[in-house]
Amino acid sequence: MVNLEELKENAKELLKQEKVKYIIGYKRGTNGLMPVPAFIKKPEDVENLIWDPLCIYNLTRFLVDEKRKKAKQKNPDERPVGLIVKGCDSRAVNVLLQEKFINREDIYIIGISCENTGVVDEKKLVKKLKGKKVKKIEFGKKNGFIVSTEDGQVEVPSSEILAERCQECIAHFPVVYDVLLGEKPKRKPDNPFKSLEKMESLSREERWTFWKEQLDKCIRCYACRSTCPMCYCDECVVDTINFAVTADTTAEEKAQKIKWVEKSPVLSENFVYHFIRAIHLAGRCIDCGECERVCPLDIPLRFLNKKLEKEAKELFGYDVGFDPDRPSLVSCFKEEDPEDFIR
Amino acid sequence: MKKILRKKSFLQWVKRLESYKIYAPMKDDDFWNFALINNPKDLNLNHSNTVLSPKKIIFPQREVILEFSTSNDSELEVKEILPEEKASIIFGVRPCDARAIPLMDKVFGGDFTDPYYWKRRDKTILVGLSCNTPPSSNCFCLSVEGSPHSKEGLDILMTDLGDKYYVESLTKKGDQLINLAKNLFEEPNAKDNKDLENIHKDSEKKIKRQIQDIKNIPAKLKEMFESPFWDEESLSCLRCGICTYLCPTCHCFDINDEIISSSPLKGKRVRTWDNCQFPDFTMHSSGHNPRSDRASRLRQRILHKFQYFIEQYQNYQCTGCGRCISKCPVGIDIIEVLNKVENYGT
Repeated sequence: MVNLEELKENAKELLKQEKVKYIIGYKRGTNGLMPVPAFIKKPEDVENLIWDPLCIYNLTRFLVDEKRKKAKQKNPDERPVGLIVKGCDSRAVNVLLQEKFINREDIYIIGISCENTGVVDEKKLVKKLKGKKVKKIEFGKKNGFIVSTEDGQVEVPSSEILAERCQECIAHFPVVYDVLLGEKPKRKPDNPFKSLEKMESLSREERWTFWKEQLDKCIRCYACRSTCPMCYCDECVVDTINFAVTADTTAEEKAQKIKWVEKSPVLSENFVYHFIRAIHLAGRCIDCGECERVCPLDIPLRFLNKKLEKEAKELFGYDVGFDPDRPSLVSCFKEEDPEDFIR
Repeated sequence: MKKILRKKSFLQWVKRLESYKIYAPMKDDDFWNFALINNPKDLNLNHSNTVLSPKKIIFPQREVILEFSTSNDSELEVKEILPEEKASIIFGVRPCDARAIPLMDKVFGGDFTDPYYWKRRDKTILVGLSCNTPPSSNCFCLSVEGSPHSKEGLDILMTDLGDKYYVESLTKKGDQLINLAKNLFEEPNAKDNKDLENIHKDSEKKIKRQIQDIKNIPAKLKEMFESPFWDEESLSCLRCGICTYLCPTCHCFDINDEIISSSPLKGKRVRTWDNCQFPDFTMHSSGHNPRSDRASRLRQRILHKFQYFIEQYQNYQCTGCGRCISKCPVGIDIIEVLNKVENYGT
């Protein structure tokens, strides 16, 4: 089991010895059940760090902010940033390394085991507890979670509240790290694409109806884009004006700028937005499930990314985020490719 | 006008209102949202907080304001599109969401009245429901001069008394709705009045979250414009638009031309909600961005609600619904931010 004190001790040493600028981890929130991201700068603040099955967030996302901030500084602090990662998150680090978006020496990776289970689905947990308040939630010794409420402690089997993505996880343990906490769990390999079975059994018309209904709900708050560690483009195709516009851009150039997606949250535009995002994540998404978790309207976005993950696996034998030195899926080709157009 | 309506008569009342478009909270899998009700039977007032506030009915996220085209002789034709709304009733409006509407009235009224807004606003009747238990664990209406049984902005306030509703009409529009089904309503007796008072009092005690001392905040914020505080508080902000799109009082909008055909020219001018948390919000065509980072965008959201709006309209532009807190993907908590502001530098 991961020992929280060991995690704090590790973090404290890193900060004391000034090996890292700061550490990105998890701390208690004030808004209810969920922990929140913590940015720990002082050794004494490591006391705020927590680790429990609700530490869902993929903190890799904050490396994007760090890079942007550093690019603006004249004399940036060159020390690495400490980052706490689960197995899935570590694969996101690998993708960012593979794409040369970040340098390995800029991060100090604290890998952490999500034990025999994975993390909890917040919505499933809330439903399961029927309004009771969670005081504490821990990883169980076997395959479940120990949840404490005002009525005492109960053991909940993981099948009831585990996040769906964890049921389909292909990396139960960090694949890239500087220090590791906890043991590698002995989990059975799951069917990584089980959640797609139902969707795939539907006819094209049924799927079209399903997605029309789902994407019609979208209010284009872009939380899915904003929480995604892979959505790091400086200039996003959906923004109306963007960073390519400078003081020197002429009126004509501005007028000529193609607007790919209208701001209107109508079905056609919502489709374009979500499909562009899905395609851009092919061979890059590591299924952290954050896009789906943050959606205020519960659009099942994971389906889109999962389907493309499956395509990448079946067509090209490509697993995302295991090897930072491998060329990325969409930027390489093989001479023996059966398609003519590629040569 | 104060009346009692038996719960078993509620459906009959709604059926009498068939000449109106009726909106009410509907459950969609796990969450509630306001939707057009086609069958009065679907109406159910057991809702927790809806994801979006009823703001979206009066001030829709997208509306076409004009259409333009060139005919064969290159003459530009412009056609204004004003909403032609049937009178509507929104049932189940929470008092916080109702209080947000008079705030929007100030923005869309005043020196320039916005015809698109008012066409809908004038034809909408708001029927509220007191929150006997808080619909969200992050409710904090009491801290921003509201209450779980506030009447502000409503035409009717309903309170659940168990097997009946206490129905208080607050405007002429509200009286009209009751008069359409007069025989269904009874006069409240002394016990009903007492029950109402107790329920309202109790409901206030159930609001757990609060801002310590809001009075000093506007002045305090004014001094903190350049403070590094905003950098710290916005560290985890993802720059998504959840907080402001779900906010019942946020009203910023953008206007774009959507071109359907460039030759011959044909298109629409469209107004959509805008969002101060987006990187391109109020970006100048010169390329200058007055709020270029997360810190200045978070500051904008807080200052607009708790300083600028007070200066301009003498109200907080926040009604304590708690949506921005509950739905923030990284737990940025406006109550916490304001409590820290209150204690900042002391």
